[in-house]
Amino acid sequence: MENKCENLSLYIIDELPEHEKEPFERHLKTCIHCQSEIDSLQATWQMLSYDVEETDVPESLKAEVMDFIFIENETPLQAQEVSNNKQSFLERLKLILTIQFSPLSIGVTAVLVIGLIGLLWINLHLRDTITALENKAGSPTKIVKSFNLKGQDLAGLANGNAYLLKEGSDTSLVVKLNNMPKTNADEVYQVWLLKNGNRQNAGTLKPDQNGNGLITYRLPKDHSFDEIGITLEPNPDNTQPQGQKVMGTS
Amino acid sequence: MVVKSKSDEELIELIVQNHRPALEELYDRYVKLIYSFSLKMTKGDTEKTKEIVQLVFLRLWTTKRTYSSEKGKFVNWLLSITRNIAIDHIRKEQKHQGTVQLEINEWQQMQDQQTDDVLQQVSKNLLKQQLQEAKRHLSEPQQRLIDLLYWGGYSLSEIAELEQKPLGTIKSRLHQTLKKLRNYFNEETGGVRHGK
Repeated sequence: MENKCENLSLYIIDELPEHEKEPFERHLKTCIHCQSEIDSLQATWQMLSYDVEETDVPESLKAEVMDFIFIENETPLQAQEVSNNKQSFLERLKLILTIQFSPLSIGVTAVLVIGLIGLLWINLHLRDTITALENKAGSPTKIVKSFNLKGQDLAGLANGNAYLLKEGSDTSLVVKLNNMPKTNADEVYQVWLLKNGNRQNAGTLKPDQNGNGLITYRLPKDHSFDEIGITLEPNPDNTQPQGQKVMGTS
Repeated sequence: MVVKSKSDEELIELIVQNHRPALEELYDRYVKLIYSFSLKMTKGDTEKTKEIVQLVFLRLWTTKRTYSSEKGKFVNWLLSITRNIAIDHIRKEQKHQGTVQLEINEWQQMQDQQTDDVLQQVSKNLLKQQLQEAKRHLSEPQQRLIDLLYWGGYSLSEIAELEQKPLGTIKSRLHQTLKKLRNYFNEETGGVRHGK
C-alpha cells in the first residue's frame, strides 16, 4: 500500500508509466489517504500555471492560427482523398455499376450473358460436328490392306479375314472369323498385333453359336503392325498372351 | 448562432460538429493565457510560441472527444493540453540538439527574471502573488524541481540525472514540494481554488 501511495504525485503530474496507471487507479478507489489528498494536490499542481506574466498577443496571430488549421491542414487531407480515389478505382466502378443497374437488371443481364455464352458454345460445337460429318462424307472408307487368317491346332478348321480400313484420318482394323471352336466359361479369343516381336492387344471376342466372330479395333494414331495373331486366353484383359496361338496371318 | 453567449463546454460541442466560429470564439477567450503560458515554456521564443499556439488550436479543432466538466475546470484542461504540446515541442528540440544539458545557470537567470516578473505582477494578479509567496517557502532544490518539471518540461528521471540524486529522492521531493505549496496556499487563501 505504502508503495502505491508514493505514486500519487507522479499520477498527478502525469509522469506515471502507462502500465502503472491502471493499477494505481485501482489503488485509488480503495485508498482513503490518496482520495483525501488527490484533489488538493492536483489543484496545487494546476495552480502553478498562474505563475505566468500575461503578454500581449500579436494581432496577426489569429489569422496565422486559423490559416494553419483551415488551409495548411486541409491540403494533406485533400491529397489523401485523391490518392484514396485512385486506389479505389475498382470500388468506384462498382459503385457506378450499382447506381446504374438495379439488382433486377443485373440478374437479367447475367442471364442474358450466360445464355449468349451458351449459344456461342453450342454453335461452335455444332460447327465441329458438321465439319466432322463433312469430313466423313468427303472421305469414304477405304480398305488399305487385307489379311487372310488361318486356324491351327485346336482351331484347325477356322479361317478368317482382317481388313485395315482408313476413314479420314482414322485407321481401324476389322477382323472376321469363321468356324471358331466354342469357348468355355471365361475363355476368350484375343487379337494381337505384332510388330518386331512386340504384341499389342487389339481386343477380345467370343464367337457365336455358329462359330462366327467379329471385332473392330481403332488403331492409335501412327500405329502400324506386321502380323496378326489370335490366342485362346483363359480369361480376358490380358496384356500379354497366356494361352496358345490358334490363328495367324499366313 | 451567437457563439458569444455559449459556455466553453458548448463551444467544444460545436467544434466537434466542425463549427468554425466556435473555435474563433475560444481563441478570443483564451489566446492570451495560452500565448503567455507558451511563451514562458519556450523561455520567450515567439516563433516557437506561435507554433505551439497553432498546435493547441489544431488539437482543439480536431478533438473528437467532448470536453466534460467532470474532468475539472475547462481552463485547466486547456492548459494541460498546452503544456503537453509545449513539452513535446521542447523535447523534440532537445533531441535535435543531441544532449540534455544541465542549465543550473540558465535556471538561475530564469529565477531572477521571475522575481522581476513578480514585482511587476503583484498588483495585477493576486493569485499569482500568493503562488509566489507559497513558492518562497520552498527550499532552493524544491523551487528548482518545480521550475524544471513544470516549466522546463523535464521528466523526473532527467531531473534526477541533472541533480545527481536517486530517482526516489526526486519523487519524494516532488511529493513534499506539492504538499508544502498546498499548505501555504491554503493558509493564504483559505483553500486551493482555480479561478480568474
